[in-house]
Amino acid sequence: MSNEALKKTITLILSGGQGERLYPLTKDRAKPAVPFGGIYRIIDFTLSNCLNSDCGKIYVLTQYKSFSLDRHIILGWNNLFNNPEVSRYLHILPPQQRTGQTWYLGTADAIYQNIYTLEREKPERVLILAGDHIYKMNYAEMVKYHVERGADLTIACVNIPKAEANQFGIAVVDENNRIQGFQEKPKENAATVPNDPDTCFASMGIYVFSTDVLVRHVSADARRESEHDFGKNIIPAMVHENMKVFAYPFKDENRKEQAYWRDVGTLDSYYEANMELTKVAPLFNLYDEHWPIRTYREQFPPAKFVFSEAANDPNPRRGQALDSLVAPGVIISGGTVEQSILSSQVRINSYSHVKDSILMEGVNIGRYAKINKAIIDKGVHIPERATIGYDLEADRRRFTVTAQGLVIVPKEMPME
Amino acid sequence: MAKVLVVDDDKNLRLLYEQELSEEGHEVTLAGSGPEALDYLKAQRPDLIILDISMPGMDGIEALGKILAKDRTMPVILNTAYSAYKDNFMTWSADAYVVKSGDLTELKAKIKDVLKTRGIPA
Repeated sequence: MSNEALKKTITLILSGGQGERLYPLTKDRAKPAVPFGGIYRIIDFTLSNCLNSDCGKIYVLTQYKSFSLDRHIILGWNNLFNNPEVSRYLHILPPQQRTGQTWYLGTADAIYQNIYTLEREKPERVLILAGDHIYKMNYAEMVKYHVERGADLTIACVNIPKAEANQFGIAVVDENNRIQGFQEKPKENAATVPNDPDTCFASMGIYVFSTDVLVRHVSADARRESEHDFGKNIIPAMVHENMKVFAYPFKDENRKEQAYWRDVGTLDSYYEANMELTKVAPLFNLYDEHWPIRTYREQFPPAKFVFSEAANDPNPRRGQALDSLVAPGVIISGGTVEQSILSSQVRINSYSHVKDSILMEGVNIGRYAKINKAIIDKGVHIPERATIGYDLEADRRRFTVTAQGLVIVPKEMPME
Repeated sequence: MAKVLVVDDDKNLRLLYEQELSEEGHEVTLAGSGPEALDYLKAQRPDLIILDISMPGMDGIEALGKILAKDRTMPVILNTAYSAYKDNFMTWSADAYVVKSGDLTELKAKIKDVLKTRGIPA
C-alpha cells in the first residue's frame, strides 16, 4: 500500500510502564513482553497491527526491565521492519536523559524526553500507541481520517455498552465525532454516541497528533507541575483550548460481529483474554490470514502427546489436551490438559491434571499433580502430587491469589 | 527588580547586557558558558535566565534541557543571533525566543512579559 500520509507519520509505542497490576508476571519483564496466547507476547499484537497497516517508521520507547522485550523485538521483528534503503525502521529507544534527569514521569513526559527524535525526523504526524492491548486495527485508516479532518489530535475510540462506561475514559462527542470533553469512569449519566443511546465511546489510548501540536503541548506540560499524562493533562487542555480533537470510531480488522479490544492490564483481565482463545470459536481470531499476528519464537519439535491406554481402564495413562492451545515443543506424557494454554517446552507428566490454566515456557507438571485456574510462569517445576488452585487458603500462603480466585506462581519459583 | 542570569560566550555582549539590564533595575549575574551557568544554579535561583544558543562546548539547547530538568519552572528566554533555531523542537520549551539585535528593546519587552506571566515583580 502506498500511503503518502503514512510516510510522513512516525509511530511511537510507549512500552515503559511498570505493569504493576500484572505483578508478579511483570516481576522480571516489561508488561509488553508478558507472554500471551501460548506463543505471543503482548506487544506482538500492536507490532502486527503496525506491520499490517504498513507503518514503517517505528520507535519503541522502553524503560523498566526491558531486556526480554528488547531481545524479543530484535530477534522477531527487526527483519520484518528494518530496511534503511526504503526508510523503514524499527528502533528501540531507552531513556536518553537529554531533557530530563529522571525516568519518564508519565506518558507525556516520555514524549517530551524524546523530542530530539521528533526534531531529527520532523514528521508531519505522530501515531502514539501503547504496547499493552489485544486488538486488530488498521492505523493507516486512522491517519487518513486525521488528515481528512485537518485534526490537531485524533483519538481512537471503541463502542462499549453504556453499562460498562464506569470502567473506561469516555469521550463526549458531537454529531461530527468532534470531542467536547471527557468523563473518567462515569458511574452515571455516561455520554452516549450520537444516535446510539446504548453505547459510549471509550478511549483506546491510541492517538494521532499533528507534530507541532504535540511538541507544543508536551513542552508546555513539561514546564508545569502535573502528572504529565496524555489522558489527564494534555488532552483535556487541548479540548479546553477548543482545538480540533476528533474521535476515530474503531474499525475492527478481526471481522466478527462484535468488536474485539481488550485491555490486559490486570491479572484477571489478562487471564480471561487468554482463556477466551480456548473456546471452539473464539471472538479473537488468530487464524485469519487477512490480518496475521506474528511473533518471534525459537524452533521446537512438534507438540507430542503420548500414552493412549484405553479410557475405560481403571486408571488410564493417557496424554491428552482438550479445548486447549498447545505450543510446539510441548510433551504431554500421560497427563490430561483441559481449557488451558501451554507455551513451548511445557511437560505434562503421567496422571497429572491441568484445567483452566496458563502454563508458560518450560513449566513441568509432576506426576499426579493437579492444577486448576492458575497461571504458572516460566520454568516452574511443580512437584509430584502437588495441588494448586483447589485450596486457595493454602495457595495464598505461597502465591499471589486474585479476588477472583486465580492463582499465580511466579517465574522460576523453586517448589521442590 | 528581578534577578537575571545572562549566559553568553561573547564577553562584550555580556557586559552590554549587564549595563542595559541593570539600568532597567535588574540584578544581573553573568555566565560565559552552559557549564558555568549550571554551576551557578547549584546554589542560586535567579528569576529569569537569558540563554544564548550558539556557544562552544555545551550549546544553549543542551543547557536548556539540563536547566529545566533541574527546575521545570525556571523562566528561560533563548537569545540567539539565528532565527533558524526557532523551528527546532528542542527550543519550544523555552518561555520566549528572541533574535539578537543591536537594540535590546524586544528583549527587554520579553523579559517584562515573562516576569509578568510568572507573577514576578519586574
